[in-house]
Amino acid sequence: MRKIWLVIKREYLTRVRTRVFILSTVGLPLFSIGIFAFTMALAERKTDHPVRISILDNLGGLAPQILLSLDEKLPDGQPRFQLVRDWDRPASAKEAYQELTRQVRDSQLDGFLEVPKDILSGKDATLHTRNGSDYQTDRTIGRALNNAVIERRLTDRGIHIDDLSNVMRRTELTLVKVTKNGESEENGQSVLVQLSIVMVLYITLLVYGVMTMRSVLEEKTSRIVEILASSIRPVHLLTGKILGVAAVGLTQYLIWMTTAALVSTYGAAVGSAFRPGAQAPNFHLPISYLVYPVIFFLAGYFLYASLYAAIGSMVSSEEELQQLQMPVTLVIVSCFILYPLIQRAPNSPLAVGLTLFPFSSPILMVFRITVQTPPFWQIALSLAICAATTVGVVWLAARIYRVGILMYGKRPSLVELLRWLRYT
Amino acid sequence: MEAIAADHVTKRFDTVVAVSDLNLHIEQGAVFGLLGPNGAGKTTTLRMIMHILVPDEGSVQVLGQPASDRTQDLIGYLPEERGLYNRMKVREVLIFLAALKGLTEAEAAVRVNEWLERLGLADWSGKKISELSKGMQQKVQFIAAVAHQPPLLILDEPFAGLDPVNATLIKDIMLDLRQKGVTIILSTHRMEQVEMMCDAICLINHGRSVLAGDLRAIKKSYGKNTLRIEYTGEDNFLDQPDLVEKLNHYGAVVEVKLRPGADPQEILKAAVARGVRLTRFELVEPPLHDIFIEKVSEAHA
Repeated sequence: MRKIWLVIKREYLTRVRTRVFILSTVGLPLFSIGIFAFTMALAERKTDHPVRISILDNLGGLAPQILLSLDEKLPDGQPRFQLVRDWDRPASAKEAYQELTRQVRDSQLDGFLEVPKDILSGKDATLHTRNGSDYQTDRTIGRALNNAVIERRLTDRGIHIDDLSNVMRRTELTLVKVTKNGESEENGQSVLVQLSIVMVLYITLLVYGVMTMRSVLEEKTSRIVEILASSIRPVHLLTGKILGVAAVGLTQYLIWMTTAALVSTYGAAVGSAFRPGAQAPNFHLPISYLVYPVIFFLAGYFLYASLYAAIGSMVSSEEELQQLQMPVTLVIVSCFILYPLIQRAPNSPLAVGLTLFPFSSPILMVFRITVQTPPFWQIALSLAICAATTVGVVWLAARIYRVGILMYGKRPSLVELLRWLRYT
Repeated sequence: MEAIAADHVTKRFDTVVAVSDLNLHIEQGAVFGLLGPNGAGKTTTLRMIMHILVPDEGSVQVLGQPASDRTQDLIGYLPEERGLYNRMKVREVLIFLAALKGLTEAEAAVRVNEWLERLGLADWSGKKISELSKGMQQKVQFIAAVAHQPPLLILDEPFAGLDPVNATLIKDIMLDLRQKGVTIILSTHRMEQVEMMCDAICLINHGRSVLAGDLRAIKKSYGKNTLRIEYTGEDNFLDQPDLVEKLNHYGAVVEVKLRPGADPQEILKAAVARGVRLTRFELVEPPLHDIFIEKVSEAHA
């Protein structure tokens, strides 16, 4: 026991002190806080400036109708869109066009809307701006133009409606997710959070599994394993190693999850303290999003790390390692790329199967929980199956490991491997 | 109580018998040479002593106890293939390994500092292993074997890769430890080292003991049947098949194995008659080197 503890301690301390660990542990939270701040800044920017536009109306008389629908207000009560000039059927469309283009280029205008003569028969209008990707503005102006054109078509057919912009007001769909804990508004950010969680799980399982494998191989190629084997039982050495690396992963998770919880709880408050009035994105994370990933990371890590450790002990060189680790790595990768199946139908028999199967459940069950939390018994069963499989895999891995670490040269065939299991 | 008492030890790997019915008895406080050609079963034997492997048949006793997890801590081991954690600091590696042998970390720190001082590595204790020269790494590895003050020390080719100054340093430490009652098992292919340092030996071939016992007694049993000659001049005075069984030229020295009953005086006469200038003419016991080759090739015949 004392010796296992020494191994855990060594594994933990030597890894936690590396630059890679520190960078990735601190880097990810900083990155996500950065994204959070950036999103806030963006949300704020949208509301700040009025948009100055002109309309080059080759049809004629459309501008007032368009302006009717551009009735958004800035926080200070001023209208968001300012019509600088209505170029109604100019004498020379070409000259007007050139003049407007110049004004946009020289920042006298934010943009101008060019309405073709035959727009009523379906010809497209054009919006000229310096920034071609201001999606929000495009959409608002496009909608206003659409309303104006429809109103004109109706008028031409003899139908008069006074408040067309009210008649034409689009009905938006708001997605509401129904969960056990009530309802919460769905706004696209939750998909982002789900994907981030499944990505982090996938990457950490891979990284820490491979770390365990390299640690085994490193002891073997440096031959220190000979001294270790004369001081501690191989099974204890393996146990210490796996637990030590697990502790490293857990440390990283705790730091990440604490940051996420803090940002989720206090991010908006801190943000608006710096910029009063700014609208904070909704990043509220349910507690299950923070707890289940840690539990399933551990479950999956123990399973995969023992497999990886067995592989590390079977080979004597980096090249052999690359070949032999491929199948295990492929399993982890395919679990990850199967997530859309769960997303589409989180309760289909396939999804239930994948979230109970021990080699895919660590990643996919967490994803399923975030998409649509399954009954608790399924989560418990998934963990139980994973744990039982881990016990079996650890037993096999330990028997391979204790023979493998002292064998050099050719890597064993399957027949030899079976014989190793029987060695005393 | 013997340091090692192994009786009728057999170890098989699948169909290969690595060690077969081996008896090994080592007195406490002795320097014991474990010899044998490559692949003879030395490493397997050592691993059974260290309880890395368990014999299929027979028993191994270490300092009066059956080999077990507990006897592991009584043994210090310098393996032939050297290696440590390259990215760890010298001091940290040594404290870790000594603690793994049962010392508390505080105790281990004290011992490790003493040894680093003694081997002239104190200034390097904070450096990473990979920053050390090969020779220094060797010395660090030696400290890893002795730091926990084991009563039994297993050294596999302890002088390989060391310059004469460091080799002497290690040799003096070995003699000092022996003085303090430490039993040393020396496994090496360098027969002159065995002759200079060992009290007793066991020669293993094909997993079996082919020669074992007190080194001086073994050599005595072969009798003084070898001439060691240094000379200048023609060497045809040695062309006497009825007297000479085998010749070994080492350049400056020639070793002549005499036939049973041959009179060395005859060779001396022949040398003088041919005008050869002798600087050395000595009748000695056969070198261990020759005994090794004879025993090993006997088995192959």
